[in-house]
Amino acid sequence: MSDQKRIGVYICHCGGNISDYVDVEGVLRAVQDEPGVVVAKTAMFTCSDATQQEMVRDIREQNLTGLVVASCSPKLHLFTFREVARRAGLNPYQYTQVNIREQCSWAHTGDRAGATEKAIRLVRGGIARTNFTEPLEPITIDTVPKVLVVGAGIAGLRAATGLADLGLSVLLVEKSASAGGKVAGLGKMYPHEKTGREIIARLVDEVKRRENITLFTNAELVEKSGSIGNFRVKIRLGGKQREEIEENAGCIIVATGFDTYRPREGEYGYGIDGVLTLAEYKELLDRCGGGLVRNGKPVKDIVYIYCVGSRQQAGEKPNRYCSRYCCNAAVHASIQSSEASPGIHQFHLFRDMRTYGKFETLYGRARDQGAVFVRYSESEPPAVEKGADGKLKVTVKDLLTFGEQIEIPADVVVLVTGMVPARNEALVDVLKLPVGRDGFFNEIHPKLRPVETVVDGVFICGACQGPKNSAESVASALAAVTQSASILKKGYVELEPLIASVDPGLCELCDVCAGACPYSAIERDHYQGKEVARVNEAVCKGCGGCAPVCPRNAINLKGYTDAQMESMIDAMLKEIG
Amino acid sequence: MALVNPGFVDAVKQSEAFNASACMNCGVCSAVCPMGIELLPRKLFRYVLLGLEEKVLENTETIYSCLLCKMCEANCPARVHIAENVRFLRSYINKKVFKL
Amino acid sequence: MPLPTGDTIGILADNLRMRNSVLPISAKSATSWARGLHLPRGAKTVLYTGMMYQLIPYIAAMSKAQAGIEDSFLANFVKLGRQVNKVINISAFMAMPPKSMRETYNRLLVNIALLLQRAGVQFGYLYEDELYSGALVYDLGADDVLKAHARKVYGTFQKYGVKNVITVDPHTTNMLRSVYPTLLDGYDLNVKSYLEVLVERNIEPKNRLDREVVIHDSCVYARYENVLNEQRTLLKNAGVTVKEPAYSGKFTLCCGGPAESLYPKKARARAEARVKQLKEVARNCVTMCPICYVNLQKAAGGEIELADISSYLVQAYC
Ligand SMILES: Cc1cc2nc3c(=O)[nH]c(=O)nc-3n(C[C@H](O)[C@H](O)[C@H](O)COP(=O)(O)OP(=O)(O)OC[C@H]3O[C@@H](n4cnc5c(N)ncnc54)[C@H](O)[C@@H]3O)c2cc1C
Ligand code: SF4
Ligand code: SF4
Ligand code: SF4
Repeated sequence: MSDQKRIGVYICHCGGNISDYVDVEGVLRAVQDEPGVVVAKTAMFTCSDATQQEMVRDIREQNLTGLVVASCSPKLHLFTFREVARRAGLNPYQYTQVNIREQCSWAHTGDRAGATEKAIRLVRGGIARTNFTEPLEPITIDTVPKVLVVGAGIAGLRAATGLADLGLSVLLVEKSASAGGKVAGLGKMYPHEKTGREIIARLVDEVKRRENITLFTNAELVEKSGSIGNFRVKIRLGGKQREEIEENAGCIIVATGFDTYRPREGEYGYGIDGVLTLAEYKELLDRCGGGLVRNGKPVKDIVYIYCVGSRQQAGEKPNRYCSRYCCNAAVHASIQSSEASPGIHQFHLFRDMRTYGKFETLYGRARDQGAVFVRYSESEPPAVEKGADGKLKVTVKDLLTFGEQIEIPADVVVLVTGMVPARNEALVDVLKLPVGRDGFFNEIHPKLRPVETVVDGVFICGACQGPKNSAESVASALAAVTQSASILKKGYVELEPLIASVDPGLCELCDVCAGACPYSAIERDHYQGKEVARVNEAVCKGCGGCAPVCPRNAINLKGYTDAQMESMIDAMLKEIG
Repeated sequence: MALVNPGFVDAVKQSEAFNASACMNCGVCSAVCPMGIELLPRKLFRYVLLGLEEKVLENTETIYSCLLCKMCEANCPARVHIAENVRFLRSYINKKVFKL
Repeated sequence: MPLPTGDTIGILADNLRMRNSVLPISAKSATSWARGLHLPRGAKTVLYTGMMYQLIPYIAAMSKAQAGIEDSFLANFVKLGRQVNKVINISAFMAMPPKSMRETYNRLLVNIALLLQRAGVQFGYLYEDELYSGALVYDLGADDVLKAHARKVYGTFQKYGVKNVITVDPHTTNMLRSVYPTLLDGYDLNVKSYLEVLVERNIEPKNRLDREVVIHDSCVYARYENVLNEQRTLLKNAGVTVKEPAYSGKFTLCCGGPAESLYPKKARARAEARVKQLKEVARNCVTMCPICYVNLQKAAGGEIELADISSYLVQAYC
């Protein structure tokens, strides 16, 4: 304890949330004489403006060099009180929050004495830690004004043009031989009738016209290091001579899309001639201009079976989610079919119609054209068989007539197949992407941070995140563009300095730490002629995994140094007076 | 098992006023019908839309006992022309069954 | 036992085709109400009875004759069969309603004519050239027969140069105003119910009727023709306290009458249910459709006093 700190301690009643179960005044008495404590007070609400101002005044007037607030979880108010410190001219990292609400009053409502004792020990620990705090500055990293976009479907292409127009360079990496993803293979699409081919042709043209976009087809991301603001990436190019190129990028946007559900042989008659997936049927529709014809025969009766591969309740690893695009796409296909062959009969066997939002009007239009909608129960799904005279025979129980068993003759049965997550293990491995239970990539917060992942600087958009139609895919792509640009346009990123650091004098490069780090943050460096371990500040998350394993005790975690931890333990174990 | 007969649907749909497909099966019509006809009109329209001609014909009496009072129509949230639909079915049956 | 549906409809349709009415009655019976009124034959504006009021007594008499076996007047036709009816007009054998009843119904038409005159309307009448509107056949879905008949009816109006038609009952109003235009090209008649005409003309009451009545709206006026305020305005202006029963106005409960031709028992049950609702509110009840009137009357059983709206109006306004 070189130079003793001057510490202010504030203990919060939380309006009774704490003081009903913890003797707040008792805690004050027990901690006010701890080493370094100059000011000790209680307050009804420490987060109130009045108390915050009081703290600012105390820090200034008493020349405080450390601040402890014993209140709620740091998740709630860490940044509030750091900001109080900053306003008063104290380094924010010399603030310590002690959580006596969640950890004492809420956890021990039936034991006032016990809760109070625990609070005393925690506050003493906080004071001890504060005695050893040093002023720290956030780590600043200069960013590279370039974004790597993985996947050149409609989402990836649109992200690329969006970024380019903001003055950011783009590396657009597409695994297959051409850009466009699923939309490139679609004819007329809902809701506005343009063909997928046209839309993609236009987007690809836009991409080509921008000099700051480099499109790699037959290419894959194979390695990534570095961190937000400055990733180092390795791209493997296919083609004749396999080559790898290395590039830097400030952010990474993942837009790798989905796969269409492939029905099992025999699932709703799949495999029988005339039973098609929606994608296959759309191709047929796309080819037939004048009237619907298949294998030289006119198609007159069509049966659609909805939710194939989606909203499954049973089976091994069922796809429980709704694929979202398919009710709309099937209803749209129905409208197109009626227009191609006006006399046609169409029966839609659905579980629930989900033509949400404006697409409801498509549903209405299809019904006006005479398409009939039959509701079936998931527990009694329709059956498809070969019928007489070359027709297919679909039997189903119509819930809307209260269970009438009906038999529908059909020329074509369309299985309205859903979306499944694309298989992308290698990419998940390279980017450490968080995969949800359903197999799609996960965002941090579905409402407030919908395109960010837990990996800083890596964003997701389009249907790789979950079922989306193309408008929704593009909307999320543009959200990812905005998020990337808001980081890269600033020119630098600031990271929490509470991370590990290696004392190069002590390090002997045994490499144990590197094995312990889950984020691959330990790199190599040279120090006075020897090779040593060094922590990449941009990558380290401050988890502390490396510190205890170092045999030389060369690693310390800033803000949680060995000295701090030891003094906290001592303070916590002290007799309660 | 009832067999769907798409031809029946075509015949019935010839009337422009026949708009049973707007029916959302809510059942309000059946609830307010003074004749207390459970079948009319929501189930009946299903039969028509599905092309279940035999089911429709099985219910001839129901179809002719409708009062055309439009109590159902006044309450139908989907603005189905229920009375007109019923009248149209009568005219279909008159021709097809009674050979009028 | 329900009546054999197909035969019944067939007979009604045949009658309309061959004898211009579903239930042919003599020209004398149909026009006798107008005797003494000196209405001009034909005019730019005519009062069109549609024969509904004239037919009702015959229907009622028929029903009575049949009571106990099958109380629909149509059973008569059906027994004889459609083939016989084609050759012989079965109506000739119909039970003759008592004179008093015919007079009662004729009186209603006289009331209406007097009211219109009192309101200053210049109108004529087509006498024996007036044809039935075909409402029943329309309801039963015999569309082809109806179309031909509608053409005949319209032809008669054209022959007399009629432009404005004043109707006296909801069914005829609906046929002429809403159905005919969908059947005939170039149809140009201006059709109004006498209730609408009276309100339009701001007819002033002469006597105050301090009475309380419950109103039974006709489904057809209420839900097909949107005639909802006129009847109330006319009664209220005359000082009548108009009480609304459960289910009134736009949501009025059908009297059951339309089921009479094929399912009389069902019709009766509906009428009884309606009478129950009406008597909860007042003892005197007004109707504005001859079908409602006769059907409710059957079920009234002396528990309510039914009257056609014109009987009240004539007392107040003439
Ligand atoms: C039959 C059918 C009909 C549809 N109809 C409509 C419609 O009418 N209207 C509508 O709005 N939507 C429709 N959709 C939905 C639409 O297809 C999707 O919303 C859209 O394709 C999603 O775009 P995306 O860019 O996210 O994914 P995708 O289109 O799947 O594109 C992803 C791209 O990423 C590439 N990729 C994958 N992994 C990697 C990797 N590791 N490295 C590099 N590249 C990779 C893929 O090769 C592909 O090019 C339909 C879908 C189907 C199946
Ligand atoms: S969008 Fe419709 S068809 Fe597709 S999974 Fe959802 S409910 Fe089923
Ligand atoms: S009220 Fe209308 S929408 Fe509802 S079931 Fe009846 S007809 Fe269908
Ligand atoms: S019109 Fe027919 S179905 Fe509708 S409420 Fe009246 S009787 Fe019932």
